[in-house]
Amino acid sequence: MRPGTGGPRRSAGGSGRPWPAGLLLAYPADWRARYGGELELLISDLHDGGRKPVPMAFDLLRGAATAWLRTTRGSAMSERSRDALITVLWSWVAYAVTAAWFGHDLGIYPSRGAAQQIAVAHPVVPDAFHVLFAVGVVGIAVTGVAAVPFAFEAARYARKNRRSSTFGMMAVPPVVAVVWFAGLHFISSGSATTGRLTVALLWFLLGLAGIAGSTQAISKIVAATEFSRTTWRIGAGAAAAIAAAMLVGTGATIVWGLAFRASQVNSGDAAGWLGVTAIMSVTTARAVIALIGSRRRTVSPEPAVA
Amino acid sequence: MDFTEPVVLVLTSLADGPKHGYALAKDIETFAGIKLGPGTLYGALSRLEDRGWIEALPAEDRRRPYQITAAGAESLATHLATAQQVAATGLRRLELGPAR
Repeated sequence: MRPGTGGPRRSAGGSGRPWPAGLLLAYPADWRARYGGELELLISDLHDGGRKPVPMAFDLLRGAATAWLRTTRGSAMSERSRDALITVLWSWVAYAVTAAWFGHDLGIYPSRGAAQQIAVAHPVVPDAFHVLFAVGVVGIAVTGVAAVPFAFEAARYARKNRRSSTFGMMAVPPVVAVVWFAGLHFISSGSATTGRLTVALLWFLLGLAGIAGSTQAISKIVAATEFSRTTWRIGAGAAAAIAAAMLVGTGATIVWGLAFRASQVNSGDAAGWLGVTAIMSVTTARAVIALIGSRRRTVSPEPAVA
Repeated sequence: MDFTEPVVLVLTSLADGPKHGYALAKDIETFAGIKLGPGTLYGALSRLEDRGWIEALPAEDRRRPYQITAAGAESLATHLATAQQVAATGLRRLELGPAR
């Protein structure tokens, strides 16, 4: 037996069930399923050790009220939701960058003539460009709407707990966006020289780094803040909607690529499609698996104590 | 997570090894002279487990022991260091008497 794990001076379950144990019914069902068996045994142990039942009963009622309050605030679900949301966020950002790069000229890929040939040869194939565009609009809108309660609560939590670093991290995405678009405006305003093209390429790479930095800042805020149950639900709904949109976009891209290859317009260009499809499939799978995992219980319910 | 008194007591008790509910209650009674009620004790245990500062071990004789995690030990050490500093300051000022 490990040190400190020995039982009381009676055999387990050796006496009758003390009446305060009936107050376990006042606890939330989920909480009772996890801790009810252990708590009932502790009540019996303390009762056999001489604890008075009335103070125990008041303590249990207070504990039940606290458990209900915590269930309402969502603390119990927060850890599972937190990891899943961060995974979906990173997957969505990687997916969106890939889809934007692939989709921005998909309507004319590899040429306007080839695109028209595909449309004629396969009239039932969905237009991947418009599907990806719709996925992008839905994903960005959902992310924006869900970000409002998260940002509001993160700011309130940071102010209450004096976490100034949270405010610094909240400033990263808007500052990066403003600086990057201002730089883009400056770069694209002049004539296209070799030097300017090099700067444009560097600026594009810096933009990718900025997106990654902004995503990391948001992930750190989500990891360090206690959010309410309502906010976690909004986050879970948004994550589910984004994962569904990613599934649709990936499916449309796969169908488009197969049609493109079948049309034999220029099968050599399909290598780019394979790479894009691989990234989109992996990120979509990560998001879906994270969401499914977050809905599973992390602990098995305790068997009921007779 | 707020360092309520039961949370500190439970973490302190688990700092010297795994214990189940009854062993925790008796240990806390011994070193702190506080009789934690069963609802208070399990409220603290559930919060600590959610936060990842303690973890459950396989049940023995229907009693499930808990042990402190590395993150829990680090948080407790930080909290106790601050509390020690506050206590030392308070005691020193009490010895000096109120400022005139």
